Amino acid sequence: MIEAATLLTIVLMASVTYLTRLVGYVALRNRILSPRIVEVMEGAPGCVLISVIAPYFVSDRPADLAALAITLLAATRLPLLATVVIGVCAAGLLRHLAG
Amino acid sequence: MAKDRSAATPRVASRTEGMRGLKAGLPIMIGFVPFALLLGAQAGQKGLSAVEVPLMAGLNFGGGSEFAAIELWTSPPNVLLIVAITFLVNSRHILMGAALAPYIRHLPKRKAFPALFFMCDESWAMGLADARRRLAAGFSEPFSLPYYLGLSAGLYLTWVTFTAAGALAGPMIGDVKAIGFDMVFPAVFLVLLKGMWTGFRATRAWLVSLVVAASTYLLVPGAWYVLAGALSGVLAAFAIASRK
Repeated sequence: MIEAATLLTIVLMASVTYLTRLVGYVALRNRILSPRIVEVMEGAPGCVLISVIAPYFVSDRPADLAALAITLLAATRLPLLATVVIGVCAAGLLRHLAG
Repeated sequence: MAKDRSAATPRVASRTEGMRGLKAGLPIMIGFVPFALLLGAQAGQKGLSAVEVPLMAGLNFGGGSEFAAIELWTSPPNVLLIVAITFLVNSRHILMGAALAPYIRHLPKRKAFPALFFMCDESWAMGLADARRRLAAGFSEPFSLPYYLGLSAGLYLTWVTFTAAGALAGPMIGDVKAIGFDMVFPAVFLVLLKGMWTGFRATRAWLVSLVVAASTYLLVPGAWYVLAGALSGVLAAFAIASRK
């Protein structure tokens, strides 16, 4: 039911996550961050997210690239759930059509 | 009205405040359900059991990092990579905790530490918004801990329950890639990115990340493209911020 490597990964993930939740409160509660650091920190989560999905942008399947373009367009103007539905449908349909 | 309530006995006031938080969180709880189901199903596809999935959801409680971890999950998992990515995805908590700190300064640490465990994007944003509203209304202690905890309890239980349900239902969904379900990740992440959009200045760092991550993905085997892309983007953001 629980594998050792999986348990280790989950416990370490959880520890690191809890640390990020505490650090800001513990270390910075009596300080004011420099605007430069604030700017860098505001951009960091976006850098991570876009790196995780980067492979989708260089897929060798035209159907996948077209589906990603449609999803990107949907993301700029629609809420989360609608974007997900459109992305999934576009990918499923276009792959089906491309064979 | 709320002012009269806080004049009631503390225990009654706490319960009322907790219910107020739970009710405020209801629409978000509903919004959590499909994503928790999908995360659970995806995790199941990657070989995590119906015990391991809610364990991750319950101990980590950070949707973005869990989606990223499952996306990168191999058997056996690359522990260091997943932990590093978890830190990077959740590093925004540091800023969120810092923003919340002035409002929870009056709490003893034995209350603040457990409360911070439940700080996700939604509970943070709503807790802070409520504190600001109460500050404007003249409350001496604007941050309502029972409100925040009621809100958090609803979100937490929804997340853990439905990731477990997703893991159990996962095999029924079949191959997620064949029916386009893998597009859930870019879709979720693109919407999150749109929410973080603060103009082209900050976006330049994202472009650096995208280009470096994509090139690394094509040239280097394994999942290292995430670290390469994320770190180069953060470095670029630092350089951009320095040149002000």
